[in-house]
Amino acid sequence: MKTSLILATAATLGLSLMGEDAKADGHAPVCGLNTGQAATGEPIKVGGINGNAPPGDFSGGTDGAAAYFDCVNANGGINGRPIDYLVENDQWNPELAGQVATKLVKDEGVVALVGNGSVVEMAVNAPLYAAEDVMVMASGCAISECYESSHIVSTNQGPLPSGIGALKFAIEELGATNAACIGFNIPNNGGWACDWMNEYMSSKGLQGTSILMDPTAVDLNSVYLQALAEGVDTILLMLPAGPAIGLLKVAEEQGGREMFKWVSPTPLYEPGVGEVLGDYWSDHLYINIELNTFDSDGADNQNWVKVMDTYGKDDDRRDTFSQSGYISAKFFVDALLDLDADRIDRPSVTKAIQNIVGVESDLLCDPYYVGVADRHMPNHSGRMVVFKDGGFELMRDCYDIDTNYLEPILAQETALGLD
Amino acid sequence: MLKVYGLFLVSGLAVGSLYALAGIGLVILRRSTGFLNFAYGALAAAAAMVAWQVADWGAWPPLSWFAALVAGVVLSVAYGRLVAPALAWREPAVKAVATLGYMLILLGVMGLIWDDELRKLSLPTDKIAVTLLGVRVTVTRLIALGVAVAAVIAMILYLDRSRMGLNMRALADDRDHAALLGIPIIKVETLAWGISGALAGGTGLLFGSLVRLEPTVITFMVIPATAAAIVGRLTSLPMTLLGGLFIGVIEAMLTLYKPLAPLRAMTPFVIAGLMILWMQRGTSLTFASKD
Repeated sequence: MKTSLILATAATLGLSLMGEDAKADGHAPVCGLNTGQAATGEPIKVGGINGNAPPGDFSGGTDGAAAYFDCVNANGGINGRPIDYLVENDQWNPELAGQVATKLVKDEGVVALVGNGSVVEMAVNAPLYAAEDVMVMASGCAISECYESSHIVSTNQGPLPSGIGALKFAIEELGATNAACIGFNIPNNGGWACDWMNEYMSSKGLQGTSILMDPTAVDLNSVYLQALAEGVDTILLMLPAGPAIGLLKVAEEQGGREMFKWVSPTPLYEPGVGEVLGDYWSDHLYINIELNTFDSDGADNQNWVKVMDTYGKDDDRRDTFSQSGYISAKFFVDALLDLDADRIDRPSVTKAIQNIVGVESDLLCDPYYVGVADRHMPNHSGRMVVFKDGGFELMRDCYDIDTNYLEPILAQETALGLD
Repeated sequence: MLKVYGLFLVSGLAVGSLYALAGIGLVILRRSTGFLNFAYGALAAAAAMVAWQVADWGAWPPLSWFAALVAGVVLSVAYGRLVAPALAWREPAVKAVATLGYMLILLGVMGLIWDDELRKLSLPTDKIAVTLLGVRVTVTRLIALGVAVAAVIAMILYLDRSRMGLNMRALADDRDHAALLGIPIIKVETLAWGISGALAGGTGLLFGSLVRLEPTVITFMVIPATAAAIVGRLTSLPMTLLGGLFIGVIEAMLTLYKPLAPLRAMTPFVIAGLMILWMQRGTSLTFASKD
């Protein structure tokens, strides 16, 4: 017993010293108050909902937020109070999405939700969040309700701006004049984004067409052939990575690399893409990214890497949603640190989040803000990369995405003095 | 315009051959055991994932393909020996619904073992292609069609010419009478589950290579496969083959008609529904064996 105690004490001391060394040489992440002392006060309950089940894993946002909150808790918390982060999985099931949100908001009484990533829960729960006056700082949105609700603000762009950003690059750099938007036949996802893509092409005096398919469509060959029959010169893959890669495989089978300009929003910017695509698409696939490159030297990006390495789990996703979850959590913590720790409750947190205006990060091109509004889309500028030699190469740094969809958003920014 | 139709015809035949192959596996089992196996797509998905896993461990590629077939057989026979006998005297609908449970279990287990990462299952034949009516058709797709046709011919010959085939037909006609005649029911049924499982394994391998390696997508391939089997009245192998190809071609051709193009995925349901209505024009229940 005595020996065990000595060993445990020695191990604890050793780890502490290693931690101090890491801090001293700059390898330790910087989080919140960064005191190096664990927070021991009364926990502050914060929620998070992800969708992790077939056909997709949207847990990167909550993974990134959880790692950052753990780091904050180990470094003084919110002025001494740790964050008790409660994460639920909606499993892509609308009924379950409603149940877990009710549990977090009504039963647990969370002060806010952070890092949410789902294709389902925002559409189901947006009215609940508004009725309960609880803010959601989401990180992995893909549907219209996520951007057109008063109490949801997402750090990621979603398919609409990212897809149009990719198309803008294709028009300006690749000479695209007639584009097909291939998306899922889901009204608030593929239909929504592709309709606005067509409007964007029209506004430029160019042609656009939507090719919508069922999410479980097997016959991707016909989808590809439809684009061929439409006579387009550019294909915008408004799809999650799996189906997009299926379509690229069909195109490879048909020798379609040279027949079209190939562009995509962020989903194809994923660490495993190189291994799956192989050499065929090198230099021929252009992708718009909503946050910064994974290897960026920016301070926040580097801190995200350190936070995930130190506090993340081995199986945590390290993708754009993870970056997005991390930075959402950071903005949230920074907002709460300005509050009186003894008076943190839902109304004060909702107000603090709505008061976030003009905070900056190298992960984002534009200042982030929330404000009081019926819609939110603070991130609408992106970067462009090309798939090359199994990796990605930056082609164009931060640039604006100019679609009429953003008119009310730009008006908000003017009102908030963010021009 | 004819050339465009040709493109979609060839494309539809290519995907239809996969539906047909899966439908044939369903019909073989249905004829011998009375089970309409809704877990068939999940068996195919599990087999494809096992092939990927074995290849990912660095195994010789043919070994990974063999592993897919073994996985299909093992998972199919496991259900056939452990669960199916307890349901042998239940109604056909109960038997079918029970396989839905097995499908959900397999889907859940696959979700636990293999998270949602990007994966690729490649066969050497993916890189070799011939051009038909302007469409490049890979040898893998030709193999899918060839295997479907070969499976139909082989099973017809097997059922007609072999002793075990005769036993299977007897079992299909009347399980109770077959048992009274001394036919080794468990042995015959195990063989049927095994053949069906091997076909599921092969289909999963081809599907994972030709479409995409996602367990959910492969699992729900059972829908067009069931529709193909219904076209074959759950008994006729040649009609199931034609049904699969027909569904594939109609689905592809609908792409050309813009208002219906986004609804192409309904094709198997519509065709199966029409076929059931046609079969119901008489009196008997579609899935019943004794009415």
